[in-house]
Amino acid sequence: MSRLNAVVSDDRRVPREALRSTGYAVYGAAIGILALYTLPLLLITAVLTLVRVGRPMALPMLRWVRRLADLERSRLRRLGHEIESPYHGPDVEAEPSLRGALADPETRRDLSWLFMHATWGLIVGIVAIQLPFTAVRDITYPIWWTTISPDQQEILNGTVEAATWSAAMIGPIAGVAVFALWLIGAPKLCELQARPGVNLLGPDPDADLSERVARLTATRAAALDAHAVELRRIERALHDGAQNRIVGVAVLVGAARREVERNPERADEILARAQDTVEDALAELRAVVRSILPPVLENRGLEGALSALASDCSVPCKVTVDVPDRCPASVEATAYFVVAESLTNVAKHSRASRAEVEVRLRGGRLHVSVTDDGRGGADAANGSGLAGIGRRVEAHDGDVTVTSPAGGPTEIRVELPCGS
Amino acid sequence: MRIVIAEDDTLLREGLGLVLRGEGFDVVASTGGPEAFLAAVEEHRPDVAVVDVRMPPTHTDEGIKAAVEARRAHPELAVLVLSAYVEESFATDLLAEGAKGVGYLLKERVGRVDAFVEALQRVAAGGTAIDPEVVAQLFAQRRSDDPLERLTPREKEVLSVMAEGLGNAAIAQRLFITENAVHKHIRNIFFKLDLAPDDHTDRRVAAVLRYLESA
Repeated sequence: MSRLNAVVSDDRRVPREALRSTGYAVYGAAIGILALYTLPLLLITAVLTLVRVGRPMALPMLRWVRRLADLERSRLRRLGHEIESPYHGPDVEAEPSLRGALADPETRRDLSWLFMHATWGLIVGIVAIQLPFTAVRDITYPIWWTTISPDQQEILNGTVEAATWSAAMIGPIAGVAVFALWLIGAPKLCELQARPGVNLLGPDPDADLSERVARLTATRAAALDAHAVELRRIERALHDGAQNRIVGVAVLVGAARREVERNPERADEILARAQDTVEDALAELRAVVRSILPPVLENRGLEGALSALASDCSVPCKVTVDVPDRCPASVEATAYFVVAESLTNVAKHSRASRAEVEVRLRGGRLHVSVTDDGRGGADAANGSGLAGIGRRVEAHDGDVTVTSPAGGPTEIRVELPCGS
Repeated sequence: MRIVIAEDDTLLREGLGLVLRGEGFDVVASTGGPEAFLAAVEEHRPDVAVVDVRMPPTHTDEGIKAAVEARRAHPELAVLVLSAYVEESFATDLLAEGAKGVGYLLKERVGRVDAFVEALQRVAAGGTAIDPEVVAQLFAQRRSDDPLERLTPREKEVLSVMAEGLGNAAIAQRLFITENAVHKHIRNIFFKLDLAPDDHTDRRVAAVLRYLESA
């Protein structure tokens, strides 16, 4: 309960935290209402499916439940919970059959959550919303109690009758107490509302271990492949660039030495060229080193490094970075690589007039998005840097989403796990 | 001596031209890719071709393939292959077509102009010039059941210098031994590698090939 301690220790943050929690409780209650309406629909579908006429409805229903669960997952992540997506396939359609979908433990866990959230989650949410309203109503009660009809002259949500002036004066006292309760209790209520989701929406802790091992093995293989690709890239860059330059220097110096006696002026010319070539070689070495782990990242952090990228971009580019702590170096380097590749694409292909880079740390995941108002149509298949982005992000167990309809705009979203 | 250069890197192409012209060679064409190189060989009929291993389009072994092709069309053409790194399979590919008038050197050797010119002239005269680095790597990978394992360290040393293309006198000078001793070592090498004296093939070339091919 570190959050509660933090709240008590810093009194300026208390009201802000209560407001934030109530906001999330409202969001949670909205999802709860959707869940509540979904319950009877599910029941009808189940009954109809039993008599076979409901079969076409079943998969869309399950997909809708997943949509709701995903909504709750994103809410929980914003609240700071780490919720991994438990699904193995991208969609319910990937399941071979309805029976398969129902046998899937994730579907059953989603359905249990749906029931819990439609009842418990909704009630807790309503309580959290009710508290501040009750507090305001009761504190101001003496001002207006005479104007309402006698059968409504009550305080504390109608639990105590207050039809006399002396009774009405209890209102503000009760209101302040409720307000204090709200201040302290709102984050707690928010936690209570989140509990079913936290317990049920992540991967099942008892799930078949071999499946998780298989998934990890696949991502490790992707990581190794990404490393191999990276090494090949570095090898090529070194060979085609710096190494050739340095061999060139050896040749030029050899030629110059032969000319020293025969024609000193010519020797000097050749040496000048050799010097230029060494400088080129150094520049190329620096470029290669930069591409491995950009020193700018080391010196100026992610925000500074991304700003530098944006200012180098030929398209005007706005950068927003909301990352309070530093992430692991490999995650930062990957985020940097993603933005660098994306901005290169923007400058080369998009014909955009402006671009925007956003990087946020939410719930232990680094969210990177690069958008532009260009002509769209970006496709990983036609050799742009997108395939490279995909490989490198996948190696970090991250996700890439590219939205780029013909005519634009293009948006590249990347999520990277940033846990220590 | 008329020379055609094939090297895709502009700087190195020009540097090579600079060195060779400075030494009085006649560089009749400088090309940047295999097709242009083969066309230039057809057109100019040079004495020697100086060819880079990595060339477009894939930058793997286009240079070797082009050199082998040029040699098939013009067996009298001497070829000196330059490589940025040691890859003995390239050397053996090249030598499989015959070891006369073939050289394989690391690119930076061009900077040691005296030695480079000497190697070039040796290749042009029908000899061989194999980079000491390549030779060392071939020895390092030698299998234990190899007939070459029967050679004494000194004999191996003589063979490796022989593989670079040096004659008896030069070998003696390099290893600080008498020419007579060199002669004795070489006779032992031939014996241990089962190269009979009445054979019509050039036993020196055969010995070098034996040890390059079994890599």
